[in-house]
Amino acid sequence: MMLSYILLSGVTTGALYALVALGIVIVNKATGVINFAQGELFMFSGFLAWALHVQFGIGYPLTLVLAIAGGFLLGVMTDRIAFQPLKNVDVVSLVLATVGIAFILRGVARVIWGGKGDYLTFPPITSPEPIMIGEIMIIPQQLAVLAGAVLIMALFWLFFRYTRAGKMMQATADNAKAATLVGIRTDRIYALAFGTGTAVAAAAAVLAAPLTLLYPDMGFSFFIKGFAAAVLGGLTSLPGAILGGLLVGIAEALAGGYIASSLMEVSGFVVIMLVLVIMPSGLLGARRLRRV
Amino acid sequence: MALFGRRNVLLVLLAVALVLPAVANSYQLYIGNLVLIYTLLAIGMNLLLGFAGQLAFANAAMFGIGAYGTGLLQVHFGLPFAIAFPAGALIAAAVGLAISFPALRLSGLYLALSTLAFAQFTQWIFLHWEGVTFGAGGFKTPQISFDPLPVSKPVGLYYLSLLVAVALYIFARNLVASRVGRAFVAVRDGEVAAQSLGVDLLRTKALAFGISGFYAGVAGGLYSQALNYVSPEGYDLFQIVLHKAMIVVGGMGSVAGSLLGAGIIIIVLELLRAVKGAQEIVFGGILLVFVLFLRGGLISVIQRYVKGWDEPLHAAPPRRDEPPPLAVPATPVAERAAP
Repeated sequence: MMLSYILLSGVTTGALYALVALGIVIVNKATGVINFAQGELFMFSGFLAWALHVQFGIGYPLTLVLAIAGGFLLGVMTDRIAFQPLKNVDVVSLVLATVGIAFILRGVARVIWGGKGDYLTFPPITSPEPIMIGEIMIIPQQLAVLAGAVLIMALFWLFFRYTRAGKMMQATADNAKAATLVGIRTDRIYALAFGTGTAVAAAAAVLAAPLTLLYPDMGFSFFIKGFAAAVLGGLTSLPGAILGGLLVGIAEALAGGYIASSLMEVSGFVVIMLVLVIMPSGLLGARRLRRV
Repeated sequence: MALFGRRNVLLVLLAVALVLPAVANSYQLYIGNLVLIYTLLAIGMNLLLGFAGQLAFANAAMFGIGAYGTGLLQVHFGLPFAIAFPAGALIAAAVGLAISFPALRLSGLYLALSTLAFAQFTQWIFLHWEGVTFGAGGFKTPQISFDPLPVSKPVGLYYLSLLVAVALYIFARNLVASRVGRAFVAVRDGEVAAQSLGVDLLRTKALAFGISGFYAGVAGGLYSQALNYVSPEGYDLFQIVLHKAMIVVGGMGSVAGSLLGAGIIIIVLELLRAVKGAQEIVFGGILLVFVLFLRGGLISVIQRYVKGWDEPLHAAPPRRDEPPPLAVPATPVAERAAP
C-alpha cells in the first residue's frame, strides 16, 4: 500500500520532469546547446496560463492552447534574442545570455504575480475528488499529467518521424552544414526547436500547476531535475527523456518516502553528478567515439 | 606613463579608499566594504572564467562556504576570527579543488550544469543540516573587535577588507602575468594546444578552481562579519547572476575590470535594494545586453580610448563581430559544444 502510493506519486512527478526534459532534449537535439532559461520559461508559461484561466476566466482547453502558443512565442524570442546572435560566438556568451533571460523572466514574474513565498493555486482540470483504485488513492490530476506526458511524447515521435519539419530538424541536428547544403534554412529550424521546446514546457506547466502551485522560483528546481532526467536519458533521446524523468521521479519519491522528505530536493544534483561522471552518454544516448 | 593610466587611477582610488572612513557615514562605509568584498568575488570568478575559461557556477556556493565556515568555526569551536577567517577561506578553496575533479571530465555546458546543480546542493546543505548550520533562519556571527587598535569594529573591518583586497588584487595581477596565468589563458583558448605546449590540464584547472574558491571564501568570511549574520538566502542563485554580471560588465579576462564591475554592480544593487523583482530584471538585462553588445566589458572601452590600460596577452581574445560570409555558414555552437 505504502510502496504503491509512493511509486504512483513518483511516476506522476516523474512525468512532469519528463515533460521538462523533453523540452530540453528538443532544443539540444537541434541546436546542441542547453537553454538555461528553460526552467524560467516553464514557470513563466505557467503564470501566463494562470492569468488567462483565473484572472480572465478563459476555459481550460483554450487556456492550454493559448499557453502553448505563448510558450512557442517565448521560445522563438529566446532564439532570436540570445541564440541567433551568439551561436557563432562561444558557448560561454550563449549560456550567460540565457541565464540573463532566465533572471529577467523571474523578475518579471515576481513583479507581476507576487513576491517571494507567494504561491498561486491553479484550479485542477479534473475533479479534485480523489478516486480509489483498490487501496490506492489517486488524484485525477495525476492521471491527467501522466496522460499529457504520454500524449506529448507520442506527438513528437510522429512529428520527427513523419513531418517534413521534423525530418529537417533531425537533419540539422545530425549535421548542420550538410543540412544547409541540401537547402534547409537552419536558422528557422533553430527557431522552431526553441519554440517547440518551450511550447512543451508550457504544456508541462499547465499540467503541473494544479499539483505544484505556482511561484516565481519554481523554474530552477524543475530545470535542474528536468536536466537530470534528460542527461540520464542521454540528452538527445526523446524516449530517454521520458525514461529519465520517470526514473528521477521514482528515485526521488523512494528517497523521500523511506529516508527523509528533504532528500527529494537533491535528487537532481545526485543524478546529474552520477551520470555525468560515471556514464556521460546516459541510458539511451548515442555513444560517441570521440569525446573532448 | 599616461596620466590617466591604470597605475595612477588605481593609486588615486586607493588613496580615496584609505581616507573613506574619515569622511563617510556608516552606511557609505558599509557600501565601501561591500565593494571590496565583491571585488574579491569578481576577481576569483574572473580568474576561473575570464582567464582559465571554465564556465562554472559554483562561486556563489564557495562564497557561502567561506561565510558559513568562518562563522561556524567561531560559533561551534569558539575559535577567534583571526583563525576562523583564514580557515573558512581554506575550506572554500579545498571544496573548489574537490569540485575541479569532475570538472576535468566535463567541459562547456556540462560543467556549467553540474556546477549549477552543485550550487543548489550547497543551498540544500545550508538549509537542511540544521544541527550545524542552524537551517533556514541562519545564525548571528560573534562580535569581533580590533582591540589593541584604536578603531571601531566597522572601521577595522573595512580596513581589513581593504588590506585583503589590495593584497589579493596584486596577487591576481602577478598571477596572471606568471607562468600559471599564461597556462590559464592557454587552456581557455585551446585545451589541445595547451597540452601540446606542455601545460598540465589537470593541475592547471584544479589550480584555477582552488584559487577561485579561495577568493570567494575570503570574500565570504569578510561578508559574514560585514552583515554579522549568515543565512542561506545570502548565497542563493541570485548571487550567481550578480557575480556573472560583475565580470561581464567589468570585462572578462581583466583584473582591473573585476574591480570596475564590482563597483558598478554594487552601486546598482543598492539603488534597487527594495525591489527583488526589479533587481532580477536589471541584472538579467545587464548580463544579456553586455554579452550581446559589449563582450569585452567596460574595460575594453577604457582600453580603447585611454592610454595605459592595456593588458597584453591576458585580455580575452578580441572577438570582432564580423558576419561570416553568407554562403558559408560558420560552425554552429552545436558542433563545438558536442560532449
